[in-house]
Amino acid sequence: MTNAVLEAIRTRRMARALTDAPVDRAQVEEVLEAARWAPSAGNRRLHRFVAVQDPVTLRLLRMVSPGMFQRPRAVILICIDGRRAITFGMLPTARGLYVDVGTAAQTMLLAAHSLGLGSGLVTSFSRAAVGAILNLPAELSPEMFVCLGFAAPRQPPAIRPRTRVTWQSLSHWERFAAPLERT
Amino acid sequence: MTSAMVLTEDEALEILAFLITAARTQLDEAAEYGPLRLLTAAGRLAGFIGARASAGTREFLAGPLKDMPDAALRSVDPAKYAAQLDAVCRAVADHLVSHFGLDGSAP
Repeated sequence: MTNAVLEAIRTRRMARALTDAPVDRAQVEEVLEAARWAPSAGNRRLHRFVAVQDPVTLRLLRMVSPGMFQRPRAVILICIDGRRAITFGMLPTARGLYVDVGTAAQTMLLAAHSLGLGSGLVTSFSRAAVGAILNLPAELSPEMFVCLGFAAPRQPPAIRPRTRVTWQSLSHWERFAAPLERT
Repeated sequence: MTSAMVLTEDEALEILAFLITAARTQLDEAAEYGPLRLLTAAGRLAGFIGARASAGTREFLAGPLKDMPDAALRSVDPAKYAAQLDAVCRAVADHLVSHFGLDGSAP
């Protein structure tokens, strides 16, 4: 079975090498607009996005982000607004907040892919250093970069899965046949 | 042996920032990211110094270090990973011996 959405899901890849071609602001805005439609627990919208296109700022962000292999032409930083979370009676470390980081990120990746952009996620960065570079207010906790650009024709080898992954290898139907060790 | 300056201040700062922040991120991340980060730093350093280094160092930089995949992880194939790193270690040692004249090649 296939359709445009499934095809986009199947063909999206992490781009670890990007070209020098610039990304238009309008494309970044389109990705941000898509993120607006991402699932958000309780529709609380406790995340804030910071878009960066300035080359010097991007260079500094990469310097403090060991997981940023690519040289993005734009990034969108997904932050958790801890102060707003508290107003809903949530801890700023509540599990759901991180789930929503993921839904926003995946939505942005697919939007970028649909626009012909290469993209990649980065969580390996110094929160303290990124906060200082971007002058983030204390209530915003930086959690994930969505890196944007145009994928270079030659990519570093992908990290191979340890075993072949299929939907069957990841999934179970109904109850487990044998009792599981309780955690 | 030469003592040419091979890094600009900007480049040195980039490596410094990478190493410091990698020390912090490593507190929260998988142990196998440790060598990955060090190799990334080495790769960036190699990229910076390549244009200004001596011919011998440039030759070393073009060797096994360049062949280490950027995102290689130990857990995918531990024996192969260790063997690749050993090859880089041998290459750097060979270059050190030559560069510092231990083999009598230096003037």
